[in-house]
Amino acid sequence: MRPILVLLRKDFTNFFRNKAAVSLTFIVPFAMIWLFGVIFGVNKKDSGPNGIPLAVVNASDNPAAATLVAALQAEKSFYVYTKFVNPDKSTRPLTEADLRSMMQAPDADFRFALVIPPDVVSETTFGLHLKIFSNPRNEIETQTVNGMLQKTIFTTVPQLLGQSLQARAKNFLGDSRFKQFNGTIAAAVSDAFGADKDQVQRDLEAGDFGFGQITGPTQPADRSLRRLDAPKDPTSNAPPTSVAQPAVAPATTGAVDALSRIVRLETIQVVGADVKSPFATSIVGGWAIQFLLFALSASATSLFRERDAGIFQRLLAAPVTRAHILWSKFLYGVILGIVQLMVLFVAGRILFGIEVEKHFVLLVLVCTFAAAACTSFGMLLAALSPNAEAAQGLATFLIMIMSSLGGAWFPITLMPVFIQQFSKLTLVYWSMEGFSAVLWAGQSFFQLLPILGILGGITVLVMSIAVWRFNRGKIFG
Amino acid sequence: MLQLRSVTKRFGTIIALDDVSLDIARGEFFGLLGPNGAGKSTLMSLVAGLRAADAGTLHLDGAPLTAANAASRTSLGLVPQHIALYPELNADENLRIFGALYGLRGADLRDRINTALTAVQLADRRRDPVKNFSGGMQRRLNLVAALLHRPKLLLCDEPTVGVDPQSRNAIFEYLQALNRDGLTIIYSTHYMEEATRLCSRIGIIDHGKILALGTLEELLTRLPFEEEIRFPATAATAPLAVELAALGELATADGSHRFRPHIDCKLSAFYARAESHAVPGRLFTSQRPTLEAVFLHLTGRTLRE
Repeated sequence: MRPILVLLRKDFTNFFRNKAAVSLTFIVPFAMIWLFGVIFGVNKKDSGPNGIPLAVVNASDNPAAATLVAALQAEKSFYVYTKFVNPDKSTRPLTEADLRSMMQAPDADFRFALVIPPDVVSETTFGLHLKIFSNPRNEIETQTVNGMLQKTIFTTVPQLLGQSLQARAKNFLGDSRFKQFNGTIAAAVSDAFGADKDQVQRDLEAGDFGFGQITGPTQPADRSLRRLDAPKDPTSNAPPTSVAQPAVAPATTGAVDALSRIVRLETIQVVGADVKSPFATSIVGGWAIQFLLFALSASATSLFRERDAGIFQRLLAAPVTRAHILWSKFLYGVILGIVQLMVLFVAGRILFGIEVEKHFVLLVLVCTFAAAACTSFGMLLAALSPNAEAAQGLATFLIMIMSSLGGAWFPITLMPVFIQQFSKLTLVYWSMEGFSAVLWAGQSFFQLLPILGILGGITVLVMSIAVWRFNRGKIFG
Repeated sequence: MLQLRSVTKRFGTIIALDDVSLDIARGEFFGLLGPNGAGKSTLMSLVAGLRAADAGTLHLDGAPLTAANAASRTSLGLVPQHIALYPELNADENLRIFGALYGLRGADLRDRINTALTAVQLADRRRDPVKNFSGGMQRRLNLVAALLHRPKLLLCDEPTVGVDPQSRNAIFEYLQALNRDGLTIIYSTHYMEEATRLCSRIGIIDHGKILALGTLEELLTRLPFEEEIRFPATAATAPLAVELAALGELATADGSHRFRPHIDCKLSAFYARAESHAVPGRLFTSQRPTLEAVFLHLTGRTLRE
């Protein structure tokens, strides 16, 4: 037994002396748990997507349309744009004509837009007519936006649907018979449920059929109504004693399902409409860049192996400088990175039909800049770390953070707004922007320049710090 | 060929080299002898241009030796203390890389690699990854990797650490042959046997200072005795030992006395005293002192301490 205890003690002593092992075992998981908790709003009642940019064009003079815009503006899932900013900083309401060009711009502020057309409610067709302009480069984000839009429409402006029914009925029956029809219904409702007949008729004509009470859980029941199964007392207009809440949930589901079939969402894909394999095209870049980071971090730690083997002594005793060693490592990383990324994209072409050949030259260009940025990251890790183990631990931690923050795992709009600010500080984000710009949006070289400039800037900045650290650190003895 | 003048190197508060001056002549096989941490590797790294001196100057054939002077480094070859090779690559590939760094290429590089591998008996293993080599084979390859560009000065920083006797002997013979062919070698070691066997001149270094410099004979003359006499430490020899203390240094260890007579002490006087105490002459063994004794005399401690 004693030898086991002695050996056990030895293992724990070794473990706690190894800072990289301790940090990978405790600190990194703790940090990741915290980060994901923050990202997904664990312990928060209002968890879910935040601030997804959404443009809204209201071309309708229907008051309910304005209510819908206000509801969207109040919805935390969206950050709503309704104004077009002129060059002189003056503003005007957005129009449908603005949307396409704005969404196709390389630095578009939004990838989704809702248009409420003048004919949102029509006398000739039943149901609502809404248009959604989208640049659905991320499937999860697109589904989320569609879901949130439908929820907001059904829960805040069900009267639009009522108006549609009324308009259709008016068109079909004619004015006088239409008024008579509503009057008859109002009288029947009043007789059965005890409400004021004129008020019921006004509500019906405004399209308010009371859908809000089954689709909007926060709206209180009309207290002037009595339950259908309550004893009828012609002398009493007393309010009902309770509302059967359990019935609300299935009614809500049923109503929403029914409504979703009669709301016509006309989807217009502004960007990426001709992409053959949209889902694969949108995700392959994020995963490719993540694996590239792991590969290049491992190669950068080879600096430690060469140092420990005394190879740097031999090299530096030859006509070789520190700069030669560092830049050869950098070029090695860049070339390896380009090859790795292109192999992954070609695999995407073979397996999923990603249209690599259509944008080959620009894709190689983005891969080059992304590989350079990733390589500089690996070099910086090696420059900051005291040994290979520490560098590997730090790399694992930072790559996971950057991949999640940068949007490689899920859309950044699922994260709280304040965390989204950090996304643009990651090279993963900008690399993915580059891949998306080429493969999804089909942007030109000149449109790509800002992204390439940022990736190049990251490379120069990070490599400068790395070289500075290398010249002052212990890597060269 | 190589001149060091008042060279000082510090690492924080530690003075690794303290005002070292040294001249190495062309064709010399110079040994730098000292215990671990004495400053040998630091001195080697300064000469190789891996580090810059804090004070003093280094010149090779009149040209300053600095990290920035790439041209002077083509005259140098460094055999690092570690096996500074790429383990996944084979012997041939390793030599190609290190040769190419000195501008060698084509048939010339091929010929030099063939010659080098043959010289250290690795020609038949040239295609094997270095990681599959024995320690001795790796050491031999480590040595020839520094010689492909035919340097004028070879710096060997403890090149036989962890080597089996057979490989060590092969390395010694190869280095001696290179020296006979005119190559100047600086060889650092903490094995006095290696310095004694190989080096035409030896510098003894400790705590960053060169304590003594010269041929083996010259260093031995710095001792206050010329011989060392050992005899058993018994009751019969105890009276003799008491008297000998006045004639030289007497130390007792492991059941025997070690007597180092003062330089002015005549051996005849020693033997006369032994005879007077009836200690038979067959009990005495005498030997020439070694570098170990010189080091002990200079520093008060042994090389292994």
